[in-house]
Amino acid sequence: MLEEEQVAFFLASRLITRGNKGTLLLTVTIIALVFVNLIFLPSIIAGVVILFNQQTIDFSYGNLVIEPRENELVITKADELQQKINRIPGVVASSPRYAGGSTIVYKGRSASPLLVAIKPSDEVQVLKTHTKVISGDFLTDADRGQIVIGRTLAGSADQKVDRVASLGGAEVGKTVEVTFRNGETRQYRVKGILYSGTSATDSNAFITRKEYESVMGVSDSANQILVKTQTTGNEDAMRITLMQYGVQEQVWTWEDKSADFLQSIVGSFAIINFISTIVSLIIAIVIIFIVIFINTVYRRKQIGILQAIGIDRSIIIKSYIFQALFICVCGTAAGCVLLLLMLQYLTASPLVFPGGPVAPVLELSLVLQAVGSLFVVSLIAGYVPSWLTTREEILSAIRG
Amino acid sequence: MIAGNSLFKIYGKGSVEVRALDGVDITISRGEFVGITGASGSGKSTLLHLLGLLDRPTSGSLRIDGVEVSALSEKERTAFRLNRLGYVFQDYALVPELTAEENIFLPSKVRGMTSKECTRACRDILSLVGLKDRVSFLPGEMSGGEQQRVAIARALINNPALILADEPCANLDTKNSIVILELLKKLNHDLRQTVVMVSHEEWHQRYFDRVVTLQDGKIISDIGT
Repeated sequence: MLEEEQVAFFLASRLITRGNKGTLLLTVTIIALVFVNLIFLPSIIAGVVILFNQQTIDFSYGNLVIEPRENELVITKADELQQKINRIPGVVASSPRYAGGSTIVYKGRSASPLLVAIKPSDEVQVLKTHTKVISGDFLTDADRGQIVIGRTLAGSADQKVDRVASLGGAEVGKTVEVTFRNGETRQYRVKGILYSGTSATDSNAFITRKEYESVMGVSDSANQILVKTQTTGNEDAMRITLMQYGVQEQVWTWEDKSADFLQSIVGSFAIINFISTIVSLIIAIVIIFIVIFINTVYRRKQIGILQAIGIDRSIIIKSYIFQALFICVCGTAAGCVLLLLMLQYLTASPLVFPGGPVAPVLELSLVLQAVGSLFVVSLIAGYVPSWLTTREEILSAIRG
Repeated sequence: MIAGNSLFKIYGKGSVEVRALDGVDITISRGEFVGITGASGSGKSTLLHLLGLLDRPTSGSLRIDGVEVSALSEKERTAFRLNRLGYVFQDYALVPELTAEENIFLPSKVRGMTSKECTRACRDILSLVGLKDRVSFLPGEMSGGEQQRVAIARALINNPALILADEPCANLDTKNSIVILELLKKLNHDLRQTVVMVSHEEWHQRYFDRVVTLQDGKIISDIGT
């Protein structure tokens, strides 16, 4: 049996090395491009997903989110709970907050953002929002009568530019009027405007907890505590740890909180990726098929003669499969080189997405999947045309 | 060696029926050099195709080396061609991407000979056909006569009992034709190989032990020379 493979390999190697180099080069190039296409888009998508995940952690939730116990609206004794959480191994810091609806009016334009009340000195240890102030300053613990708003909420004087309800171009130093959930209205000076690239954060407004508590007449409570852990990726384990240390409130991971949003994004990308992959594989199979088919038709007479001198058709089919696999291997290798060059370039000059730069992320499983797909495609594209040609009567093949 | 009884090869049906072979009975003994002649369309190539297991008779019995070949499966026929027959085509039929040596040892590689054995056997056969200096030449780098000698060498590599040659001199000039005919005669004489050769050239007949003439699918004469 092995002799058959040896002869098939021998035939294939000679047909490749002494065949038309131009056709071979062209085919290998096309397969290399198909390979790049199979990997490039998913790697960009992986980069985007990583960016979104990191943004969710850095600007929205931290690693864990603690919310009031079931059937309760607030976390009481929030400061005591915060201290307890901060002592748990693996926790870096935590930040109690109030987050609730509000109405903000500026020069007759109104918007209803989420108003987040924070203790800035805690918040800066959990989130990176403070690093994204693009105008003015971030809040300090002592601030009263001051507000920081997201760029999306601040909006633009030109209404056409804004895609959502905004304050129509609120600026640092200007005064906005905030109506709280309890109906109380107060004036705030805009201290800073931030832009994180995360639409949820950029649509929010921020005041200090002290300010909020004075307006709402509450103290030492929160409806959310964000927790930053030492490592990202072990949130589920940390969640259990918190519960083991006696945290009785509801504990969520950042993935739980953003599941709908991320799943819809990842789901949409998966559909795009699936279509792109199928198209690429069809292109690959058609190209290899055409090349092998033309090759076999061109060598129809030769195939007939080989059969006539006693070469079994299985050897001939295998020789064409080997040729297809050779094209596949060369195309994949060339595609790898091309892909590495592209990745190097895009790592140095990342694509800019809303939210930040995105560098493609190359996952080994993705590469193996692409190689495997091309391998299978090559097997099919090598087998079918050679099988069809060798099925022909020897004499009619010899006569051409 | 060969015993064909009532061999028919019929193409088409009804009014368009063509009887390429019309009840041919033929017997060829081991070691004979038989020439098959006849006008174009007489059925000589069809007969050779049946003997070479490239085609199946519509009816009739054909035994080669004691084997009823018309009953063999396609795979068995391929193995029979590989192991017991050597076929020489009119237009050499060499693989253009293979050197003379590679073309020759291809059938022996299929039989499982090692590369060393193949190379040795090739060199011996190339010497026999007078082409030992053309070992690494591609077919395109050789003359028609040289290519045909390589084709004959390929037919010999598995040491077949029967060599079938389908107008091997058709594309050659007289000088090269003589070389090929003398080579076949020598093989027939020295190696005691049975040779069946199709030819329409009258002067070739002096090389044959026997001349079988076909006309309209029937043997009209079978004469020893």
